[in-house]
Amino acid sequence: MILTGVLRHYASVLMAAGPKKVDAKTMKEQRGLFRGVNLRNNYHVLSGPSFRARRDNITTAYETGAYLKEPTGSGQPAPNPMTDPNAMEGMMGAMKNNMAMIIPNTLIMSWINAFFSGYVIMKLPFPLTIKFKSMLQAGVMTKDMDPRWMSSISWYFLCMFGLQSVFNFLLGRDAASQMTQQMSGMNQQNANPFGPGQDPNKQFTAEAENLAVIEHYSVLDDVEDRLLAGINN
Amino acid sequence: MSASLFQPPGELSPAEALHLSQQAPSVLKSNPASIRSAPLLALFSAKDTPDLWTKYENLLLSCLRTGDEPSARQCLERIANRFGADNERVMALIGLVKEAECQNDRALDEVLKEYNKILTNNNTNIPIAKRRIALLRSIGRTSDAVSSLNTLLDFSPTDSEAWSELSDIYLGQGMYAQAIFALEEVLVLAPNAWNMHARLGEVLYMAATTTQAAESPAQKYLAEALKRFCRSIELCDDYLRGYYGLKLVTSHILKTPPKPSKQSDEDRFSLPDDAKLKALDEMATTKLAEIIRRNSAGEGGWKGYSKSEIEAARKLLDQDNNRVR
Repeated sequence: MILTGVLRHYASVLMAAGPKKVDAKTMKEQRGLFRGVNLRNNYHVLSGPSFRARRDNITTAYETGAYLKEPTGSGQPAPNPMTDPNAMEGMMGAMKNNMAMIIPNTLIMSWINAFFSGYVIMKLPFPLTIKFKSMLQAGVMTKDMDPRWMSSISWYFLCMFGLQSVFNFLLGRDAASQMTQQMSGMNQQNANPFGPGQDPNKQFTAEAENLAVIEHYSVLDDVEDRLLAGINN
Repeated sequence: MSASLFQPPGELSPAEALHLSQQAPSVLKSNPASIRSAPLLALFSAKDTPDLWTKYENLLLSCLRTGDEPSARQCLERIANRFGADNERVMALIGLVKEAECQNDRALDEVLKEYNKILTNNNTNIPIAKRRIALLRSIGRTSDAVSSLNTLLDFSPTDSEAWSELSDIYLGQGMYAQAIFALEEVLVLAPNAWNMHARLGEVLYMAATTTQAAESPAQKYLAEALKRFCRSIELCDDYLRGYYGLKLVTSHILKTPPKPSKQSDEDRFSLPDDAKLKALDEMATTKLAEIIRRNSAGEGGWKGYSKSEIEAARKLLDQDNNRVR
């Protein structure tokens, strides 16, 4: 049982695609948008003229599509994510991971079923109420057996859930069993702001509008008054 | 301030860097030469923590700085063993060690060619691109460095490190407007970085004092410099550079009062009136004196200032006293 866990870990490590290389244009597109977002959030550190200069610069760049990966593609309907090879690869990665989990699991399950079904394996050293029957005597269809008897398949399940910490100990913190969940969470976070099927051009124009409606103030406006007031108090 | 291997080593004084790199043999000995990630073996070898790798990297930099190249090589080998020599960050470290080992310009050119080759294969390898820019700058090809920085920033405009490097280069060339622009970009990315506010104040002050005084841009620069210093103090109490700059600017304005500008542009920052300037000047003076006093008395919590900065502040105050007398 432990061996299968270890094997599964290495299988998923092997199949996991490394961080995908981003080409300059994609990076430009993503970070160009971040630049606008940053400017929108932190405009107050700038003085009035320098903010306006930046805003004009960025909005014209957004509107003319200078940051777009494919300038010609702007305005067209969003491409089908299935046709974009990059998106395909991302999906395949997720799929591969799932497959790596599913195939051994089904194999092991059928093997376990054939092997462990139908007999009791141990007697627990303490009495239990009748409710525990379903948990401890799976696969044994005996109605009036004492719940202290434990069927082998239940024992297998209990062990499998309990082995998590053993895997952590053997394989290090990022054991495969935990990793899949964390990885799916992480991918979402540092992935690009453009989900599949969204038109970057639209996001850029929306950001340009956001920038255009900013009413500028500067954090420097009355800073010396604030400072003097703070000292005098 | 006791230097530690967990802090980035850029700020260390030479003595501290030397102290750190002298620890290299003991650090290298106390940690195993290779970390195994294989099962079972991982049980018996040392833990593979992020701390360890930070330590190696900082140790590597300190060793290079103090000329202890064998230890640096050893650190590098361990890092490369763990992360593979084709990791982008490791590639940059390898390049750094190679640069440090170069004896003459020809060898540096070789390294530069290697960087170019890596970048033609993968033009988004940012650590290598940065190393290349730093190398270009250090061998004196400043204009090349600027143009490659600009291409880097073109596709990655959210890189504050690159923006500040760019501003530094521009400042070295005396192109103040460009330096100010780049620093403002850094501030947009890190709005609460008080040191960047103070730095921008310094650049603005330099720009104001070198351009023709009493001209309207100079005045605008002065006003903004004053406000930048104020902001940096607001963000970080007892920030010596902030007070120092504030003192410089206020005394400069009080000494040479700028003419009132003809066109009153409400967009621009205007200088506060004389009373406020005097109050600010006074505040900066007392605060600087307090910092110097407490620092030289060795009070707890006041020892973190660098010696040269304290010395400079003391000189500034002495000048001020002489003038008053």
